[in-house]
Amino acid sequence: MDIIETKNLTKYYKNIKGIENVTFSVKKGENFGFLGPNGAGKTTTIRTLLGFLTPTSGEAYIFGLDSQEDSIDIKKDIGYIPGDLNLYGHLTGGQFLNYFASLRETNMYLIDELLSIFEVPLERKIKGYSKGMKQKLGIVQAFMHDPELVIMDEPTAGLDPLLQQEFYKFLLKEKKKGRTMFFSSHILSEVDKICDRVAIIREGNLVALEDVDTLKYKKGKIIRIKIKEQLSKFKGPKQIKVKDGWIQFVTSDDIDSWIKKLAKYTILDIEINEFSLEDIFIRYYEGRQ
Amino acid sequence: MSDWFSFKVALQTIKDYWRITIILTLLFMGIAIMYSSMYPAFKDVMLEMMESGFADSFSAFRGAEDMGSYVGFLNIELYQIFWILIYGILIGFISASLISKEIEAKTIDLLMSNPISRKQIIFEKYLGILPLILTVNFATFIAVYAVTLAINEEINVGYLFLTHVTSIPYFFAVAGVGLLISVIIDEKMKASIIMIAIIVGMFIFESISLMIPDYESLGYISLTHYFNPHDILTAGNVDAVGVVILVVVILECILVSMFIFERKDINVA
Repeated sequence: MDIIETKNLTKYYKNIKGIENVTFSVKKGENFGFLGPNGAGKTTTIRTLLGFLTPTSGEAYIFGLDSQEDSIDIKKDIGYIPGDLNLYGHLTGGQFLNYFASLRETNMYLIDELLSIFEVPLERKIKGYSKGMKQKLGIVQAFMHDPELVIMDEPTAGLDPLLQQEFYKFLLKEKKKGRTMFFSSHILSEVDKICDRVAIIREGNLVALEDVDTLKYKKGKIIRIKIKEQLSKFKGPKQIKVKDGWIQFVTSDDIDSWIKKLAKYTILDIEINEFSLEDIFIRYYEGRQ
Repeated sequence: MSDWFSFKVALQTIKDYWRITIILTLLFMGIAIMYSSMYPAFKDVMLEMMESGFADSFSAFRGAEDMGSYVGFLNIELYQIFWILIYGILIGFISASLISKEIEAKTIDLLMSNPISRKQIIFEKYLGILPLILTVNFATFIAVYAVTLAINEEINVGYLFLTHVTSIPYFFAVAGVGLLISVIIDEKMKASIIMIAIIVGMFIFESISLMIPDYESLGYISLTHYFNPHDILTAGNVDAVGVVILVVVILECILVSMFIFERKDINVA
């Protein structure tokens, strides 16, 4: 059974497109990254999954249950970190966690472990918290009941690099236990580190749904070369870019054949790089593929 | 049904309002003590003024004709103005922010990520405001009765008690309308101000209906029409139909609020 499954999920805000025909599924124990530029529909997708928004058409299932009809049963085993995290400022951190613990009606299995990693001043009112402290409290409340699925909308925003590392470590540990993570992000290095698969959304439509490794592999290598000969004499693939005397092109072919072809020229300098995820995403974001 | 009765949200709402509950309790006890203890000093003047037709200027209020008596004085100065109108405005103001506050502050997102239904949020938020109403109500009753004993004035304590008992459906209905507004309007301050306008508007309609006989039917749309402290204080006459209407308003408001909130897209842009 898939933990999350959407079928042609579509949400229009009156006439404005939020998302359209978004179809994907997330397997148990998977870390699923959801990426896209601002306004692409990441948050709309998440809020529709959680039943905050009613889809215009299409369906969404979590744990095999209908995200609209069975919202309460679904939420018994879900944690959520909103992108625009807002907590009750008039409560102390401790009061807030107690309130939410009482609403969940289950044991807070992980609360001690979480609070030792993500220390927050429990006695202080939340309105006096810094952004980082609020984010930590947001993480604690999402994971404290050890839910089957945690949906996160840019969860590392506001965390310092050290805590980000701790957070990744924690996520991987949860994954080992078979927990499922769904998260949207802008930080590509974290997607690279954490995610098994990614979906890329642009202007409300899914434009890619791949394993992270496949995505990187499929895009091949970037070759940058400087030659002594005139640039016009260079014969490469159609899409070459020339900048500051460097010729740059992308190849998914065998590297060996290119090295042999390039041997005809007098090479002043050469760089062969893996496509970084960043390059890949920028191409997707811009609508080139 | 079980998801209707966990009361965790109601309990938190009560906690959220405990400070306001204490402040309002002290405030209304103070006002009650002030007005009831003021009467002896005004007694003679009031009786004289009544003879000169002074009460006509209070014709927008019920029971203006016997303002000269202690009970009549309390009715106008305390119950008609501070109770029905001012306390009504305060309850309206607070209840109109019950849901709108969570939406405006975007905390509704986290709240709704818990296994609680939207119906339950509405119902429990409403329940959570009721102890405030009841506490202030009971404290005000005690204050009026204590001062009455202290200054040796006559009041039928049963009628006084009955007045405060029938205050309950009136203020619960005000809170119900406030709840409904708080579900419709997503901005806390806007919702509260609209609610004040509704309370004041209802009060004006009722006043017009009392002053101008041709417009008597205008009063029917006002909640204040169904709660008449004067008749209860002086004669123990409870408008039973009025109470039923107020209870119907309460139920309608809760059900309509649930209906709207169930179908509402929660946008926190």
